[in-house]
Order: sequence, then C-alpha cells, then structure tokens
Amino acid sequence: MSELKPIFNALCRSKVGAILLLLQIAITTAIVSNSAFIISEKIAYIEQNTGYPEQDIFKFEVMSFGESIDYMRQGELDEAAIRQMPGVVDAVMVNSVPLSGGGSASTFSLGPTGEKRKGVNASIFEADSHFLNTFGVKILEGRNFTESEVSVVEEYSQYPNIGLITKAMADELFPDGDALGKTLYQGDRPMQIIGITDVMKGPWLQSERRDRSAILPFVFAQKLTLFSVRTEPGQRAQVMQQIEQHMSSLESKRVIEGLQGLDEVKADYVAPDRLTMRMLLVMIVVLTLITALGIFGLTLFNISKRTKQIGTRRALGARKSDIIRYFLIENCLISVVGLTVGSGAAILMAQQLMKHYSISQMPLFYVLLTAVGVLLMSLLAVVGPAKRAANISPSIATRTI
Amino acid sequence: MLTMNNINKVYQTDMVQTHALRDFNLQVDEGEFIAVTGPSGSGKTTFLNIAGMLETFTAGQYMLDGVDVGGLNDNQRADLRNQKIGFIFQGFNLIPDLNLFENIEVPLRYRGIKAAERKRRVEQRLEQVGLASRAKHLPQQLSGGQQQRVAIARALAGEPRFLLADEPTGNLDSLMARQVMELLEQINREGATIVMVTHDPELARRAPRNIQVVDGQLADFTLYQGNPAKAVGV
Repeated sequence: MSELKPIFNALCRSKVGAILLLLQIAITTAIVSNSAFIISEKIAYIEQNTGYPEQDIFKFEVMSFGESIDYMRQGELDEAAIRQMPGVVDAVMVNSVPLSGGGSASTFSLGPTGEKRKGVNASIFEADSHFLNTFGVKILEGRNFTESEVSVVEEYSQYPNIGLITKAMADELFPDGDALGKTLYQGDRPMQIIGITDVMKGPWLQSERRDRSAILPFVFAQKLTLFSVRTEPGQRAQVMQQIEQHMSSLESKRVIEGLQGLDEVKADYVAPDRLTMRMLLVMIVVLTLITALGIFGLTLFNISKRTKQIGTRRALGARKSDIIRYFLIENCLISVVGLTVGSGAAILMAQQLMKHYSISQMPLFYVLLTAVGVLLMSLLAVVGPAKRAANISPSIATRTI
Repeated sequence: MLTMNNINKVYQTDMVQTHALRDFNLQVDEGEFIAVTGPSGSGKTTFLNIAGMLETFTAGQYMLDGVDVGGLNDNQRADLRNQKIGFIFQGFNLIPDLNLFENIEVPLRYRGIKAAERKRRVEQRLEQVGLASRAKHLPQQLSGGQQQRVAIARALAGEPRFLLADEPTGNLDSLMARQVMELLEQINREGATIVMVTHDPELARRAPRNIQVVDGQLADFTLYQGNPAKAVGV
C-alpha cells in the first residue's frame, strides 16, 4: 500500500521536527563525507610507499667532544667498523635522514643562473657510494658513484659535479625520458646526472619536493655526524642495542644520540596527521551517533505524541507491518531530502576546503557512500521505535489517554 | 451477524485479577441498532473492544459474520476489522495532520483499494455527511459535530456491515448530538447493523433495542421499538 502522498502531506503540515532532523542529516552528510575523504587522504599519505625498508633501517647522531678528533678520518673508520658488525647490511654517513623533517634542499635548473630555464626544488643527500645500498634504493638507469668520485673534504670548494637524481625528478625536468647524462645547475654549479634512482622520499613527506631528491658524492664530517644503518631483516633491534658501545669502543670522547628506527622517524613526522585523522574519526563517530540518537529520539517522541493515532490506524485495519512501514517511509522521506541538501553542502564544503587549504578535490564517490551510510543508519535508528509503535494496542483508540 | 457465547475477559496484573466480562452472551442480528448502557467500569468498553476485535478475550466463543474470531491471528483480525467493522469513537479520533479526504481514505488504503475507487467512495461519503465542500480542510478547522460526521463518513467508507459507536455524541452539544444520532438512524435504515455504547439514557431510548452491562454481565434488556423477536437474542 502506497502511503507516500499522505505521509508527505502530513509532514508538510507539521514541519518543525522534520526540518530539524533534515538539517541534522544534511550537516552529518556534509561533514562526514568531507571528513571521510580527508581521512582517506591521510591514510594514503601515512601509508605511502617511501621506497625504504623502514623496519630494517635506523639512524643515530654522534656528538664528538674530543679536541684532537679528525672528524673526516674518524667518520670513515666508523663507517667501516659499523659495516663489519654482525647483522649489518650497510651503513653510511649522511647529511640528513629521509622522512625526518630536517635536511637541505636546493633548486636544480636546466641552465645556470641568468638563463631562464626550467628548475625544480629538490632535497639534497650528501653521502658516499653506500647511500643507495644502506637505504635499499635501486638504480633504474645509469650507475652509482665510485669511491674515487666521492669528495671527502671539510669545505665546499671541492663540491662534486656529478650526482644521482630520483626518477620523479628526472621525469619532471626531462619529460622525454632522456635525463641520464644531462647537466643540471645549482646556481652556477653544474651537476651531471650519472644515475636515476627508483622511488625514494626526501626528508619532507608533506612538501612538494617529497619525490624529488638529488644524491651527491660528498662527505662532510663535523662535530655532529649523522649515520644511517641497514640491518638484515629482524636484526635491527640487536644491532641498535650494540651500536652505542661499539661506537664508544672506537672513540670514547663522544656521545650517541637520537638512536631511532626509520619507521619511528616517520611515525614522529606523521604524528600530527595521525592525530588529525583520529580526531576526524572520533568526530564522524560522534556526529553519526548524535544523528542516530536524534532520529531515535524524534521517532520515540512522535510515537508518544501519536499513540492514539496509531491505535486508531490499527483499529481501522492497519497491520503491525503497516505501522512499521509508515515510520520507515516517513523517515526515508526526511532522510532523502536531508541527504540531497547534505550532498550539495558536502560538495560546496569540499570546494571551499580545496580553495583555502591544500586538500585535493573530493571524488563524488565519498558523498554517495556517506549518503547511503547515513540512510542505512537512519533506517536502523527508526526500526526499534517503529516496532514499538506497531505494538501499540488498537484498543487505545477507545481509551482516554 | 454477531454471536458471543460465554465470553470472559480477565485483566491480570501481578497483584490483581479483574473480571471485566463474565460469561457474556449476546446475539446481534443483521440490521439491528442496539444501545449498550451501563455504569462506568461495568465492562461496556471492554465489550466494545472485543466486539471490534481491538482486544482479545480470555475464554468463550465470538462469531462475527460467520467467522470464529478466537482462531484469528493479529493480521487476520486487522483485515477483518478493516473489512467488516466501521468504528465511531467518542473523541472522533481523526488524524490531525491529514485533511478530511485523507482521513476518510485511511481504511480504504489499508484495504488496498485503488486511487480512483477511493476517490469515488470518499466523495460519496463526504456528500452523505454534508461536508463535500470541506474535503481539503484539516479536522481542527471543523466543529465537534462536523468532526464526528467525518468520523462517521470514515466508518462508512469501507462499506462495513457492522458499525461500532463508542459514545458517538459524548463530546457534542445536544443539537449536534441529535444531528449525529439522526445520521446513525439513517445509516441503520439503509441496512447497517449498529452497536452503540452510550451513557445517555435519552439517546439509548432512541435505539430499537437496549442492553445493559453490569459487572461484566448482560444484566437487562429493554425493547423500546421495533421487532420484539429481535430483542430476544440473549
């Protein structure tokens, strides 16, 4: 039996409750769909492929206080000694740690200063030929540095004129795929590309330059030196436990700081995003619960208000299923209008978020999925009260209440 | 039309057992107009509720138009109510959010009657109760007497064979009460069986047959008019 028209007419005649519920559904749809999209973006961001076997890599800093230490020589000795440790695959002294949020960057252009040529900003890693092996990154084209090509100096006058760049950076600067052998310029300083690496994220995951990195064969040891180590799978904890003692045994006038797995480094970096994600998730759950409770409460209120009416309907021949259907249809009507308004609001909200914050465009899929979810939730919320209404005795029609 | 044999209704709570109807026997023939009177709490409303299948009974047998009501489930009782019985309530029980037309078509919708037929029947009944021009009005825009006429139109729309009226004039002034009573008498003359519960002895006297309920039992019956043979139905 179709009751759509009289239910719609009845709703139009007593609008206040329906409009409040409709607005609640609309607001929930708008906020939940955008939040769900932002959460999915955050998840993709947090779980993106960094190009590193994070579980097998760790880093630490060495702060030397001995006046007589030759940092360069000591650094090389340290590297060699760490590489000899059982369970270690490779180790490297490096200017910055990927995914850490700290490092150096520069603009690499197709021409020297003065020429208006295309350029991109990229992260710079300075290390010896063990860098790629330590971080488990493959060379896709060209070759790695040789030991003889690495400048081990305490000043920048002998800065290298060759380097490796990531595939993403190569594709951006050389869309035709002919980057290998070409020269890039850091200001006036040329750098010939001798190799192109697979995916490897820079120190800043959030930045535009996260996929653009250049690796230069340059080792510059100072008082504070940064090491990264890759171990055999499952050996990291053991090596990390031994590293402090091992380093002290090589030179005692120094302290080891910041011993941390690369996965922990990344976790620290993405912690604010993880927090945002959790807060949005809590907001979605709370908002959805409030809406569900709103629907539940309003339906219960409607039932208590319409007890006599429901009894009369039963007396006039309504089956219990007719009463349940009545409340479901009524709820569906409110929900459909609320969802339509909410979907429009969700799209507008997404446009504003895109305009004012660095959020990409929300696919309509999220609005549709949220709308279906809110509709199901609202129907679920109304089933219990509707069943209760169906159990109202028809004899209520003749009693004074 | 309606036969009740030894109907008992017991309301049971944790502490008390109340016999609302006790070995209640009644036969109502087709075309009768019966007034049911009795003091408050005598069981009139319980009788009306059981007669209208709004409540189940504890023991006994109730046959309505040849159907043994005791053996029906909830859905079957709802369907039978819809098809055989028209209800007129003391408080009119119109649905405030529906206009007169929509109110009258409620039982027809539950019967699954098509829109065109519903429209024909609703208009016919509105015409019959003299409210054809008010079809789009809401109940609260009408006087009490007019609302009760709409309720009568709703009761008649399904063309029931049996009308149950619960204090149909209880909420009306004397003029409106008389008009409603005249309408009921007219409906009875047209062939409908009517059982009317009332407090009002004046109104009861207008019915051809009176029965009185006292302490859940049929205490007395008086014939004011009509065929004496019908009155000996107890």
